[in-house]
Amino acid sequence: MKLAVVVQRYAADIGGGSELHARYIAEHLAAHAEVRVLTTCARDYVTWKNEYPAGETTVHGIPVERFAVARERDPRDFARRSSLVFDETHAVADELAWLDSQGPVSPGLIDRVRRASADSDFVILFSLRYHTAFHGARAAAAKAVLVPTTERDPALGLEMFGPVLRGVRAIMYNSPEERALIETLHGNRGVPGVTVGVGSQIPEETDPSRAAAAFGLDRPYVLYVGRIDVNKGCAELFDYFTQYAGRSDRPLDLVLIGTPVLPIPEHPSIRYLGYVSDQDKYDVLAGAEALVMPSYFESLSMVLLEAWAIGVPVLANGRCDVLAGQCLRSNGGLFYTNGREFEAMLDTLLDNPALADELGENGRAFYEAHYEWPVIERTYLDMFERLAAGEPVERMEPLPGWLAARARTARPGAAVVDAAPRGPVRESGKRDTA
Amino acid sequence: MLTLPQFRGYLPIEMATDQHPQSGRRQHFHRGRRGQERRGDRRPSTAPQTQEQGKADQPDVDQIVKDIKARIAQRHGIDLSAQQIQELAARRLEAILDPRTVKPGLLDQLRKAAGAPADIAPAAPADAYTFEDHTIYDTHNGLLRFLRKLLAPVLKLFFNPNPIAAALNAQVRVNREASRREAERERTQAEWNALHYTVLQRLVTEVSRVSLEMQSLSLRVESLATRADFAERRIRGLEAPPAAPPMPARTFDTPATPAGPARQPSDIGTSTGTGTGTGTSEASEGRRRRRRRRGRRGNLPGSDAAGAGAPTTQTSGDLADGDEEAFDDGPESDGPEADDSTRSSLSAPAPGAPEPAAEASFADTSPGPASFAAIESEREPEKALRFEPLPAAEPVPADPPQADPAPPTSEPSDR
Repeated sequence: MKLAVVVQRYAADIGGGSELHARYIAEHLAAHAEVRVLTTCARDYVTWKNEYPAGETTVHGIPVERFAVARERDPRDFARRSSLVFDETHAVADELAWLDSQGPVSPGLIDRVRRASADSDFVILFSLRYHTAFHGARAAAAKAVLVPTTERDPALGLEMFGPVLRGVRAIMYNSPEERALIETLHGNRGVPGVTVGVGSQIPEETDPSRAAAAFGLDRPYVLYVGRIDVNKGCAELFDYFTQYAGRSDRPLDLVLIGTPVLPIPEHPSIRYLGYVSDQDKYDVLAGAEALVMPSYFESLSMVLLEAWAIGVPVLANGRCDVLAGQCLRSNGGLFYTNGREFEAMLDTLLDNPALADELGENGRAFYEAHYEWPVIERTYLDMFERLAAGEPVERMEPLPGWLAARARTARPGAAVVDAAPRGPVRESGKRDTA
Repeated sequence: MLTLPQFRGYLPIEMATDQHPQSGRRQHFHRGRRGQERRGDRRPSTAPQTQEQGKADQPDVDQIVKDIKARIAQRHGIDLSAQQIQELAARRLEAILDPRTVKPGLLDQLRKAAGAPADIAPAAPADAYTFEDHTIYDTHNGLLRFLRKLLAPVLKLFFNPNPIAAALNAQVRVNREASRREAERERTQAEWNALHYTVLQRLVTEVSRVSLEMQSLSLRVESLATRADFAERRIRGLEAPPAAPPMPARTFDTPATPAGPARQPSDIGTSTGTGTGTGTSEASEGRRRRRRRRGRRGNLPGSDAAGAGAPTTQTSGDLADGDEEAFDDGPESDGPEADDSTRSSLSAPAPGAPEPAAEASFADTSPGPASFAAIESEREPEKALRFEPLPAAEPVPADPPQADPAPPTSEPSDR
C-alpha cells in the first residue's frame, strides 16, 4: 500500500500539534505501508518563510518532499480578512481570499498532491484550515483521507469547508466532540469517519527524582506543558494559580515547560524550566501532582494523553469541550470552569492522593485502550481496508462560480460556530457512522 | 462507578505525610514506571476483582465535579460572572425607569449616547449668505444686472440701503452665534446624559452586585448563627453535670446511675455500715429507705434539674445533712418537692420512734439491693437512663404512682 501524507510543515524538530501528529502517523504507518510525506519548505507557521531547502529529503527514515511557499503571510492582511469572514456577513470569495492570506500557498505542492493521487492508494491530509489541506483535498478528492485537527474556532464555521468535509473519502477525527461539531456544522454524516486521535512516544521508564534534582524541584508541583500563550489559557492559569498560592499555605509550585509567548509572572511559586528534552519532560511530568491544561480550544491534547500514559491525573479547563469530554470518558482527571473551581479541584487532587492515584490509573487505562500505537495503527489500517473494498466515488462539490462566490450570503464564521451545540460527548468508544 | 458517599469517603483520607518531609508529596520513584509496580506502596489492594466490582470502585469524575461545584455554590452562594451581573443590572435599570414617566426610546438614546462620543458639530444657519451692498442688485441676468447698476444712484436718491444690509449682516452673525451656542449646549447635554447614564448604570450594577453579595452573606450569617446556636447548646450540655453528684447518704439502694450493674450482696454490709449514724437503727433504716426513694426520684426529670442547677446543692445538702426534708416519706404520688417538705413536718415520725415491724421485717426479708436494682431497671428503664437536665424552676410534675420496691405494707405505716 502506498500512502502520501500532506502536511503544512514537517521536520523532526517541529513540535506543533498537528505537525507532530502527522509525523507520528507517518512513522507508525510506515511499518505497514510505503509512506511519503509532501510538505512545504516552511518552518515558521506565522510567516511561512521558506527555511528548509526544496526537494526530497528523509526524516526518521521517511522520504519527505518539500515545495516552496509562494508568498509569506502578511499579518495585517490576514487579520483584516479574518475579521471580515469571522465577524461579518461575507461571500465565499472572501473566504477563499482569507485562506490564501493564511497560507501556506504552495502551488507546487498542490500539483504534486494531484499527481500523488494517481500513484498512491490514499492521500492523508492534515489540518483542514490550511491552504495545503483544503486545496490538496480538492486535488485528490477520490483518495483523500482527511485528519481535520479542528477545534471550536470560527474558521470551522466558514462555508467553503463544507464541500471538502462532505467530499473526502474518509475523516479521521481526534475526538467525539470534534466529530459532533463538524457533523453538526457541515452535515457530513455520510462520509466514513472514525474517532482515532493519536498516540505518543512514551518512554518505558521515567525518573522523577532525576528531574527533581536536575531542575531543583524540591516542592510538590503541578505542571503545564505547551506553548505559554494567552490563546492556550496561560494568562488565566497564572491568575488562578497566583490567587490560589496567595490563599493557600500549601507548598505547591506551578512548573512550566514550553516556549513562552506570554510574559511569565515573577512569582516564587511559578517555575519556568524552558524548552526541555523529551526525557526531561516525561521525568518532570512523572513527578507532578497533576498536569494542568488551561487551554480553551483543543482538538486533542497530546500532552494530556502523555500524562495519562504515565499515570498522572490532569486538571483541565472545562470550558473546552474536548478536554472536559476526555476527562469524563476516561475518569482520569478533573476540570474547572472558574477560579473557585480551579482551587477546589486542585485541593481535591492534592488532599486525596488515593483519588489522584485512581484518576491517574484510569487515565493510563484509557490511554492504553484508545491511544496505544497498535490501536491507532489498526484503526487507520481498518479504515484503509474498508475504503479499498469500495469503489472510489467523486463527491467533491465544485467551487462556486464567479457570481455565486461573490454573493454576500455567508454568515460570520464565529456566529455559525457559536450557534452549534456545546458540551462534552459522554459516550466512550469510537463511533463510526458509515 | 464511585458514588457520592464513596467519593466523600476519599476526603478524610490522610496521607502518610509523617513519612515524608513534603506534605502531600507522592513518592516520585514509583511514578512513571509503567507496570504493576509503578505505584508501589500507594497501589490499592491487588486482590482480584470482578469487572463489576472494579467498575463500582471507579471514581466518577462527573459526580466528583458536580459535588465540588455544589459545595462551592453552597459556600459562596450564586456565582455570577461579570457579564451576568451586567445583564441583571440592565434589567433592574429598566425596572427602575418608570415607562409612564420616561419617553419610549429614551433609554436607547441614552445607551447610544453613553457608547458613542458626544461629537456634535455646530450646525450652520440654513441661509448663511453674506449680505453686501450690491447683494440687492444681484441677478443671473447680465443685462438686468447692468441696468440695476446703472440706475442704482437714482434709487439711492430715495433711500439709503446700507443700514438694511448692515442689519441683515448683523442678523446673520447673531444666527450663527446662536446656532453655535445651541450646538455647544446640545453637546454638553449629550455628554451629561452619557455621564448620567454611565453613572446610573454603574450604580445599578454595583447595587446588583452588592445585593447578591448581601444575599450570600445573609445566608452565611444564617448558617453561622445556626452553628453558633448549636455550639452554645452543646457547650451548655457539656458544662452541666450529667447526673446528680454523689450522695454519701446512699447506702444500699440504687446509685446515681441506676442503669449500672446490680450490686452484689456483699455490698450490703458495706453500705449499711456507712449509714448516717443518726437515730436508732430502725430510724436509720427508714431514712435510708426514704433517701433511696428520693435518690431514685433524683433520677427523675425533676430531680435531674436539681442536679443541674441551684437545687443541686439543695438536694445534696438535703441528703447529706439529713435534715427534716430528707426524711419526708410522703406518698410517691405526691406533688412537687415543696409539698413534700410541707407535708414532712406533719407526717414525719418522731426521732427514735420505732419503725413498723413490717418495714423492719421487709428489710430483713428483702430480696436484696441487687434484686431491687433489677426490679427498678425493669420497671423504669426509661427513667433509669434519663440524664437530661431540666430547668430548676420548673416544678416537678406529679409523679405517677411509682412501683415502690418496698411492699405496700410500708405505705400505710408512713401515714
